Amino acid sequence: MKKFGMTRRKFLAGAAVGSASLVASSYMSFDAWAATDTVAEDVKVTPTLCDACGNWCAINVYTKGGRIWKATGNPIAGLNKGKVCVKGHAMLHDVYNKDRIKTPLKRVGANRFEPITWEQAYREIGSKLKDIIARDGVQSVFLVQYPEGNEDLTNRFMNALGSNNVFSHASTCFLPRNIGWWLTTGAPKPEQDLENSRHVVFIGRNPAAGLQLRMLVDMAKAKDKGAKYVVVDPRFSEMAAIGHQWIQIKPGTDLALLLALANVMIKENIYQKDFIEKYSVGFDEWASKIDYYTPKWASEKTTIPEKVIVKLAHDMAEAAPSSIIHRGYHGAMGTQYKNSLQLVRAAGCINGLLGSYNQKGGMFNAPKVKLGKLAPEKYPGVPELDMPMSDGSGDPDKYPITPVGLGITQAIPELALAGKLKAGFVYHNNPLRTCPNPARMIEGYRKLDLLVSFDYVLSETASLAHYILPESYYLERDDVVHTNHCYTSKQVAIRQAVIKPLYDTKPMVQILTELAPHCGVGEYFGFTLEEYNRAALAPLNISLEKMKKEGVIDLGGEWKPGEPKFSTPSGKLEIASSILQDLNLPAVPVWEEPLVSPNSKDPYEFRLIHGKQAHLTHARSINQKYLKEITTLNDIARVWIHPERAKALGIKDGECMTISSSVGKGRARAKVTEGIHRDCVFLPSGYGVFAKNLEKAFGFGTSYNDFLPTYFDPVLGHVMANEIIVRVEKTQS
Amino acid sequence: MPRFGIAIDATKCIGCHSCRVACQNQNGLEFTETFNWIKDKERGKYPSYDKEYVPLQCNHCGNAPCERVCPTGATYTTPEGVVLVNKKTCVGCKYCMEACPYKMRIILHKAGIVVKCRLCIEMVREGGTPACVTTCPTQVRIFGDLDDPNSEISRFIAESGAEPLRKDLGTLPHIYYKRS
Amino acid sequence: MPESAWGWLIVVYLFLAGSGSGAFLAAVYCDLLAPDWSKSLARAGSLVSGPLVTIGTICLVLDLEAGLWEPWRQIYLAKNLSSMIAWGVIILSGFIPVALLYAAALNEITFVGKIARKYIRIIEYVGSALAVATATYTGVLIAVVNGVPFWNTPVMPVLFLASAISTGLAAAMIVAAIIDASTIKTLSNFALGHVIFLAIEALVLMLLVFMSLTRSTEAAISANMLISGVLSPYFWVLVVLLGILIPFILSIVEYYEYGEMPKSLVIGSDLLVLMGGMSLRALIIFSASPPQII
Repeated sequence: MKKFGMTRRKFLAGAAVGSASLVASSYMSFDAWAATDTVAEDVKVTPTLCDACGNWCAINVYTKGGRIWKATGNPIAGLNKGKVCVKGHAMLHDVYNKDRIKTPLKRVGANRFEPITWEQAYREIGSKLKDIIARDGVQSVFLVQYPEGNEDLTNRFMNALGSNNVFSHASTCFLPRNIGWWLTTGAPKPEQDLENSRHVVFIGRNPAAGLQLRMLVDMAKAKDKGAKYVVVDPRFSEMAAIGHQWIQIKPGTDLALLLALANVMIKENIYQKDFIEKYSVGFDEWASKIDYYTPKWASEKTTIPEKVIVKLAHDMAEAAPSSIIHRGYHGAMGTQYKNSLQLVRAAGCINGLLGSYNQKGGMFNAPKVKLGKLAPEKYPGVPELDMPMSDGSGDPDKYPITPVGLGITQAIPELALAGKLKAGFVYHNNPLRTCPNPARMIEGYRKLDLLVSFDYVLSETASLAHYILPESYYLERDDVVHTNHCYTSKQVAIRQAVIKPLYDTKPMVQILTELAPHCGVGEYFGFTLEEYNRAALAPLNISLEKMKKEGVIDLGGEWKPGEPKFSTPSGKLEIASSILQDLNLPAVPVWEEPLVSPNSKDPYEFRLIHGKQAHLTHARSINQKYLKEITTLNDIARVWIHPERAKALGIKDGECMTISSSVGKGRARAKVTEGIHRDCVFLPSGYGVFAKNLEKAFGFGTSYNDFLPTYFDPVLGHVMANEIIVRVEKTQS
Repeated sequence: MPRFGIAIDATKCIGCHSCRVACQNQNGLEFTETFNWIKDKERGKYPSYDKEYVPLQCNHCGNAPCERVCPTGATYTTPEGVVLVNKKTCVGCKYCMEACPYKMRIILHKAGIVVKCRLCIEMVREGGTPACVTTCPTQVRIFGDLDDPNSEISRFIAESGAEPLRKDLGTLPHIYYKRS
Repeated sequence: MPESAWGWLIVVYLFLAGSGSGAFLAAVYCDLLAPDWSKSLARAGSLVSGPLVTIGTICLVLDLEAGLWEPWRQIYLAKNLSSMIAWGVIILSGFIPVALLYAAALNEITFVGKIARKYIRIIEYVGSALAVATATYTGVLIAVVNGVPFWNTPVMPVLFLASAISTGLAAAMIVAAIIDASTIKTLSNFALGHVIFLAIEALVLMLLVFMSLTRSTEAAISANMLISGVLSPYFWVLVVLLGILIPFILSIVEYYEYGEMPKSLVIGSDLLVLMGGMSLRALIIFSASPPQII
């Protein structure tokens, strides 16, 4: 038996601080086939945090003879409750991926790189950056990141330089969801007590593929107890497979459904009056406008039969207050439609009609842990910057309610082409693949005078960078203390190295502290990661040693149902949003058409929609062979199309289709299925890698971003990723 | 002596394949080698359209065709009712692969032997649970003793009416399915 | 889910073991019933039988994996007598030496042959029993596989036996024509054997396919694959037309024309039978369709 395909490395004891050692012989005494090894091998377990996606599940990683072997979930961790997903298992192998970057690199031509020393890289980056700042001002420097974990330190670096141009994936993922909930309830990301919910409606949200393990664990339990799940989606999603009812909706019209649900609840007086009177503002204004949005009206918009809408409203109201519309993520409530913000607002208001806030089985705000900070007298704090970002985030005249620090990432190429951005850092993000219209992205990024990537492989973006400072793989590095696992109780967690770095790579914190002096901001980085983490833990009375030994520590502070609290300007659930009112936007949720709609008379025209598959994260995991095999074995990179539409185009199951939009053209094989609305085709996301150095993934499948024009939603500036009209034809061979 | 089995609640499966890779890691398998599969089945037209994911693995048959046809006796059943392959005596004739009605066996070309789900026997004997069971986010699988009427698995089977796949084949599987 | 584990090596094995034992039976038949005028055919049959089965068995061993590069594992091969492969090993280890001995005896090769000549009748009776066992066993091997419903029928051994005899006869006739060109005329007598066994083979094959269409969904999938699906061109052309129908007609003509048919047609007809027998086994193996389990 070959194990993981390479020779074994000697276990490096120092790497697994506080790890428990097990006697491995019991694992090896197979009387069956199993491994050929006859010698007992050294098995060690290190608690750490996964990095296969942004969830950062707490895992215990096992090494055998010094090689990464397997992982199990930490049973107390708030976000994964002892579970590890398919990506979590598979991405363990990627530490040994031969595509990894092994030393700092300098690009010396198109896709040609030369290894350089860290010192040389720091020096050259520092001097170029200083020149650019002197010439074009510090706001010409930007950072794109996945805002998690180390963001406090990356933000510190940018703010120390004097720039607040910090971008994230927000405008391509969740922006309207966060802003919508924030406007309505005061919290951008309320949680839901799924374990006790009796009725949950998912509006385009598919937690069974956009995995959040805790939600799944809770839902599986609640399902056994009789909870009912209704999935509203143009396609039969994985969530629909475990749901009780799938309501097929015309894409882009979810808002109409919610308005009609509110209409039924209000007209029939089946909403929670006490809650509305006590805890909300603007109900009367909404009620006066809701008359128009009858189930009949919504039925025409959504293609859902009127009686299904009425029945859904009744079912939801009956289960109140343990009845909710799920908070959503990237689905219809994320950055998908022009009306997504209104949709989220409507969902927040309906959850108010159901009185579910801070109720058992309802919505709640996760308890928070306040971590300590580095003592300012010893380590100077960075200056606070109070200005809009270059993309218009926080600019009263442009995107007043788009927060500074999240950014509108698809604006970067436009700003670069306009000469406003000159130098960029990209950390744990791959905007060239995850933003719309890659041709435009490439054009813009090529314009930059300096692009530095911290990637561990030569992704699309890293391939265009001038310098790559490779961050160690998550199994090889220590990171900052983390509070992501606060869900129903307060928890702190930490990522730590399971093995020593295999190559000449470094943890991000070390890269930043070493790079900072060359960029003239060394004074803000005169600390070590250990000092930073000790300061963070100090108020909690937890030693760093204990933290590392346990991986996750529960601090209690369990959420309990009770009086709802809203941190909105009025202190109440804002059915009428004072902030939107001030901006001359509709104060209460009202109907708004999607940006585009396919011409129903044209047999070739479809809306292109997309969604996640459970085994893929964004655009990086398809390069992992264990994950790609799941796609190829099950043939699930195909594009879904309705049988009648396919027939009209002469397309049979498995045949190749040519898909084109105003900005792109591509090919995909058809999955002809009854499980999709006839108005759209569905393209699973996670494919279409065009980085030549990612050997396994390169050229496999296609991405919705290839067809998406560069849009800016007028209110928030997000990408409106499902507002794509495509022409689908049978590929002529 | 317990008689081990797994009950699979297919109505909760989301087809995420976590079981597949957890098992591959546990058993040190290459990416193309697996003991777990998930097949989907579509039925009907909207509004009665339904798609079901069915996780598949060795059924650990009480009357195992693979064991019957194995010329060398490499395939055998443990006292706990777990069907295993002795890696030392398997010759790789693949007769068992043809004989298995469920097609749940694979050949490891590098080792030259036929292998399949082992119900993580070495962990189970120490009181543990198979890797596919523990990792499942929606707790599709229930592992336990089929002979103990009070075990979770026995109660689940009794309550849900879960049945083995293709009961008519007379293979007496130890894996039970609740289907939609 | 690997739906098929066996490939061409097993196909070749099934074919060679079948035709080898068929050739043995043809040789014994000639030697017992018409030793005077069918000597060449008997000799040819005895000469090809052992080598064919041996080559077939080598294919079977080559299909092993761990058992091939760690050959000592093969000592376990007859451990489990509920396995048809175990029985196959026993039958083959009996038949191969007997078949080789028979070739030596009938052709008086070396002193062994000369000694064996004295016991030729015993060798013929024992060998015939083992030959029938070998030919039948190749059918039973797959007939007991309930993992493939199409194979899982008692008709299968009958089909394999019939095909073994006609392919064995064909192999013997070709070799007879090579070692003794003058025998071509007498071969026409044995064209009747082809007529009979090809007819039986055709009937049993028909029975197998038509029964499979209604026997079970999965057997029907296999049968449909053969008669109208992806394998149908091979089935109709290679097995039915070239492998059975044309040699059947040629054999009738040959029988009635008695030695007047061109040699090329006689040999050609036999080659077609061999090709048909090989194709038949390949198609049966490759049309395997597992039970529908979900």
